Amino acid sequence: MTSAIELTGVQKSFGPTEIIRGVDLAIKQGEIHAIIGPNGAGKSTLFNLVTGRHRVSGGRIALNGEDITNRTPYQINRKGLSRSFQVTNIFARMSVYENVRCSALWSMGYGYAFWHFVNRRRDLSERTDMVLEQTGLTSRRAVPAGLLSYSDQRALEIAVTIAGGANVVMLDEPTSGMSSSETEQAVALIRDISATRTMVIVEHDMGVVFDLADRISVLVYGKIIATGTPEEIRADAKVQEAYLGAEAS
Amino acid sequence: MTMANPTKPTMANLTKPGVAAGIVAILIVLPQLTDSGFAITVMSQIGVATIFALAFNMLLGQGGMLSFGHAVYFGLAGYVTAHVMNGMASEDLPYIPVTLIPIVGGFAGLFFGILIGFVSTRRAGTAFAMISLGFAELVTALTLIIVFFFNGEEGVQTDRWIREEMFDITYGPDIQVYYLIAVWCVIAAIAMYALTRTPFGRISNAVRDNPERVQFIGYNTHRVRWLAFSLSSFFAGIAGALHAVNVEHVGFETVGLGQSGVILIMVYIGGTGNFAGPILGAILVTLLNSYLSDLTPAWYLYLGLIFVLMVMFAPGGLAGLIMMHDPIRRARPRLLLTMLPAYAIASAVSLVALAGAIGLIEMIYFLSTTTTRDSAMILYGIALDAADFRPWLICIALTAAGVCGCVRAYPRMAEVYNSALHEARRQVAS
Repeated sequence: MTSAIELTGVQKSFGPTEIIRGVDLAIKQGEIHAIIGPNGAGKSTLFNLVTGRHRVSGGRIALNGEDITNRTPYQINRKGLSRSFQVTNIFARMSVYENVRCSALWSMGYGYAFWHFVNRRRDLSERTDMVLEQTGLTSRRAVPAGLLSYSDQRALEIAVTIAGGANVVMLDEPTSGMSSSETEQAVALIRDISATRTMVIVEHDMGVVFDLADRISVLVYGKIIATGTPEEIRADAKVQEAYLGAEAS
Repeated sequence: MTMANPTKPTMANLTKPGVAAGIVAILIVLPQLTDSGFAITVMSQIGVATIFALAFNMLLGQGGMLSFGHAVYFGLAGYVTAHVMNGMASEDLPYIPVTLIPIVGGFAGLFFGILIGFVSTRRAGTAFAMISLGFAELVTALTLIIVFFFNGEEGVQTDRWIREEMFDITYGPDIQVYYLIAVWCVIAAIAMYALTRTPFGRISNAVRDNPERVQFIGYNTHRVRWLAFSLSSFFAGIAGALHAVNVEHVGFETVGLGQSGVILIMVYIGGTGNFAGPILGAILVTLLNSYLSDLTPAWYLYLGLIFVLMVMFAPGGLAGLIMMHDPIRRARPRLLLTMLPAYAIASAVSLVALAGAIGLIEMIYFLSTTTTRDSAMILYGIALDAADFRPWLICIALTAAGVCGCVRAYPRMAEVYNSALHEARRQVAS
């Protein structure tokens, strides 16, 4: 089966600084794949390359077998890849409901239409209600997004990411800044939405990573030094030395 | 179960059938209450300004694009309309009823909006604002260069009385033009309101709030801005055509920075965050423009002061100030009554400060502009000598007393508002 995402020799330099130094990585269909690594290893940059936020300096990226190297974010999104952001990135002046509905528009074929009324489209409101229910935001639907509590904003971040029904979802630090009970809820939500999707997550909380992930890749200084199941990664000597060891010191 | 969309429509009150019928009734009856031709002209101008202001707010309020040159599409559509009407009069062009001529203007605005918008909407924010300024200057310069179309500083004359249309309408009398504008104003306002409720309208809001994220939900932000810009230019074009019909002349000033600035000020004073805001702004500023400019040569100064005060203290505009009180009204209308004394005091001291300040400004203006060496003037209907120290002293005292009062009254007013709001929230929660 073709990989959901396949990176071949991907490189990225900002000026003379090489951030991503030749990454090869295959994300399998339907798995939850976590990318871990010390600060500054290039995890977020890797996300930005795959989702089109930055252009690669070299290499090739494919989504479900189709080349998406250096496509624009909206082109990549239309092919079924959606992402969340580490720093909450929502539509602050719009209501929670409107945030989610807007995020569903393109995938439901509404495009730039100015001849439909959004309120009259049942498919749209059903999808929106479903996503709100799934992310636990139904009771907050009328609140302007900018006024939500932090953990609700993180939930909305995920709701906006999945509302378009993308089959590959990338979450950038979905539990950052959360208390342990909030993290627990977030993990349950991620597990729930992963049932029908391929997921890639960047996460700092090792408890979350080893709990959720089917496979883990370890990124250190722009290179993947190991990929494997949680048990394999725990046992890997290189990982212990380069990453877990480095964090302990 | 599918719940109704909870997002509060920003024009909820205007869309209630009763309120809408009331507005239409006012539009029909209002010109019948006056014999003054000037008043009817002013009402026509308000109608034109309303369409233009709503079109401008499609960019600024709905799409987050600050344009310093939107009069380009208003003015160019005006020129095209004037030429089309002249062509129809000389039978060089096929006849279209003048009733439908705003459509011609709309398409002219749309054409230039699509053309120039493709370039200017590639970037948002400051770059967009600067490019809009550049095109405004460019088109203004062209009015003096392309003489066969713009006719230089003279502008293009036209005559709206081409032939009799249905129901014996000739558009000779101003009152007929007023009704033409009123009908188009209602049509355009309904159309622009409807647009806010379409997928395009909502995604335009999303681009305003967060253009980066929009790309990650599948949208090309340039396309969204371009479409918003083009549609806005269409409605600006309708306004431009009605302007041409109304004043029967289109000059280079209609495409210029001055006109673009006035519409920006109108929309900002009215409020960008609410659909009805630009309508309030168009009414207020046009009224001030018409009546204040007769009373005082310093009226532009006052308009500037109002604008600055609004930007500083009420960035939501008039509509924002009104809507602030909506949660209180919904929870318990009676609470609004308890707030009245504090509001009355604040208004009273503001008026005192204003009276003093206006007196000072008028005397300074009079002394600096008067051609005769005479210093006798009339202020507030009172004959006085501007060279005398007493009126100055009185005005300074009034201003000082008023400002001192404001310094105390405004925090008190804010306090009263906050406690009422708190009370309203408490009632809703319980």
